[in-house]
Amino acid sequence: MRRLALSLVALSRLSADIELSGHFDLNTEAFPTRPDTKNKNAITATQTLEINYERDALTLFSKLYAQEAYYDITDDQQTERTFARVDELYAKYDFDYDSIKVGKSIEFWGALELRNIVDGFNPTELRNDLFSNDKLGVYNIAYSHYTDSGELSLITKVYEQEQKMAAYPYVYNFFPAFVNYDGTLKTEESSYRPSFFLKYSGSTETEYALDYAIIYENGYDSQRYFTTQTPSHLQPGVDFGKPTKFIQEAYIVNKIMTYDTLVVDTTLFKLEALYAKVDDNAYVGDYSHIALGVEHTLENFYESAALGLIAEYYRYDTYEDDKYNDKQLFETMQNDLFLGVRYSFNNENDTSIVGGGIFDLEYDEQAYYLSYESRVGESFKVAFDYNLIIPSTTDLTAYALLKKHQRLALNIAYHF
Amino acid sequence: MKLLLTLFLSASALLALSNEAVALKSEAVMKGYKDSIADMQMTLINAAGQKKVRTMKMKVLEGEEEDKSLMEFLTPADVRGTKFLSYEHVNKDDDQWLYLPALKRVKRIASKNKSGAFMGSEFSYEDLSAFNPKKYHYEGEAEEGELNGKAVYIGSATPLSKYSGYTKLVNYVDKESFLIQKTEYFDRKKELLKIALFGEYKKLDGVYRIGKIEMKNIQNDKTTILIWSNEKIKNGLKSRDFHKRYLKK
Repeated sequence: MRRLALSLVALSRLSADIELSGHFDLNTEAFPTRPDTKNKNAITATQTLEINYERDALTLFSKLYAQEAYYDITDDQQTERTFARVDELYAKYDFDYDSIKVGKSIEFWGALELRNIVDGFNPTELRNDLFSNDKLGVYNIAYSHYTDSGELSLITKVYEQEQKMAAYPYVYNFFPAFVNYDGTLKTEESSYRPSFFLKYSGSTETEYALDYAIIYENGYDSQRYFTTQTPSHLQPGVDFGKPTKFIQEAYIVNKIMTYDTLVVDTTLFKLEALYAKVDDNAYVGDYSHIALGVEHTLENFYESAALGLIAEYYRYDTYEDDKYNDKQLFETMQNDLFLGVRYSFNNENDTSIVGGGIFDLEYDEQAYYLSYESRVGESFKVAFDYNLIIPSTTDLTAYALLKKHQRLALNIAYHF
Repeated sequence: MKLLLTLFLSASALLALSNEAVALKSEAVMKGYKDSIADMQMTLINAAGQKKVRTMKMKVLEGEEEDKSLMEFLTPADVRGTKFLSYEHVNKDDDQWLYLPALKRVKRIASKNKSGAFMGSEFSYEDLSAFNPKKYHYEGEAEEGELNGKAVYIGSATPLSKYSGYTKLVNYVDKESFLIQKTEYFDRKKELLKIALFGEYKKLDGVYRIGKIEMKNIQNDKTTILIWSNEKIKNGLKSRDFHKRYLKK
């Protein structure tokens, strides 16, 4: 009896320290312009649950995600977009000047607004739309040492995660109908071969403050490529049309990355850059990617609203002509300019409108988007967006595989 | 008679306080808390009287001149876990970062323009930073007056920063305790923009702490009420408790 009472006391103390939060989302998308054979809409219900337990210096955290797609439930032709994931499940212990974290987690690296080219620690989810920031958790062990204004981290990714993709009728499956890709990942060495990341980041106390981060990686690259089993080598334009099984391949790389933000008065100047030295791979050679950005905010632009002006430029280069180029690696931001605006109403519902255009300076492609977001009541959030992609008519880019595209989307979320 | 009048005027001059002296005394009575942990409730009331409530947890580390603060939003649920870290500076721009939990992203904020609205409220970022007389220019002697039956000093202050949203502040300071009771804020057009009423001061461990601020925007008829509760001071917090690492914890 006494043991039972003690157990109940311990359980009630434990539950008192546990925090639950999350959201239920209903997302509806309509595609007025798309290839005729692809689904004209998509309706998806998602659930996200976060469980957080903190006691003194110990943190236990888990994030669970589930998704149900309308066509997978009602239609014979599956889009394979109904699934559940454990995105995060880790334990972290904080010492005065150090911390250690073990488990499955999601990290964010980057400074820019449109796309973070150095944010490659976690693979992206390919079963959802092109515009989402959905990432897959990865198993890793991280040790960090903190100085007064910075941190030095050694992160070891212990398993290379596969990326499943939505099946053909879904509009954001880039591949033609004859391609079969089931998420198979072929790694250059064992998929348990560790990838090491050494990261140093900090902030200066100069007149113009600088936030900087430098990362060295030895391990599997975040960029991956596809090969085919039949035929044995991807030859766009030659072998297209034959039933083909695609395999995703991961290769070893030595990579140096940086992301930085410089504050000059009311303007932020941003840099993300990386250089990858690829170890003797038959398909992928050395490459670099650089992105520069500037963000300026006009406070009280109209009454209490703020207007943010954003400009970013992205450049991707490969250095071995006999290997895959940007198009074969599906790199969309190879020579692109992004111009965007963010209008924050600064009202009680945190209403905002964000819009922008991406202009490909090499393949004559454009992408435009406009989104509106606001809170309704205390617990609901409503978001509406419009996207338009005008692909290249001369080059087989990723957007050209998608074809001309228009999307209208409405998301209603209940947060708790 | 002439001598008596001279003596009286000299004594009055000695007893009168300059605007700057009042400001320094106001700062002094609120100093010495070392650090603070408190819950905050912010009620936004629009012109039609509709209310929206937000709750936050606030930690502050008192510096000689430069405070550090970490604010975590608890409600509404969609912004739960969002954190705002600020290192205040007198001689350069504050360092500020925002943590967005949905993306796990720490975002640097350009802090120079402090006139922006805080979380859709009638408070701007500069309203919420600790009162520091070094950020203002004072002239002349404080006037004496009355506010709600209390004797007060009335004095104006001009922000030194050209990025301030105000051209002038008029402070009403209790003559006895030197606690600020009311501030009138004048916008860049030199028109009255907002009135803040300060109240529910409490003495914790010998130090006065603010309990409530009611900020009324005269131009749009909106009001925001900020209430501190469960405040504890002298908790032994250190500078390292305000490291960027705690944004992500």
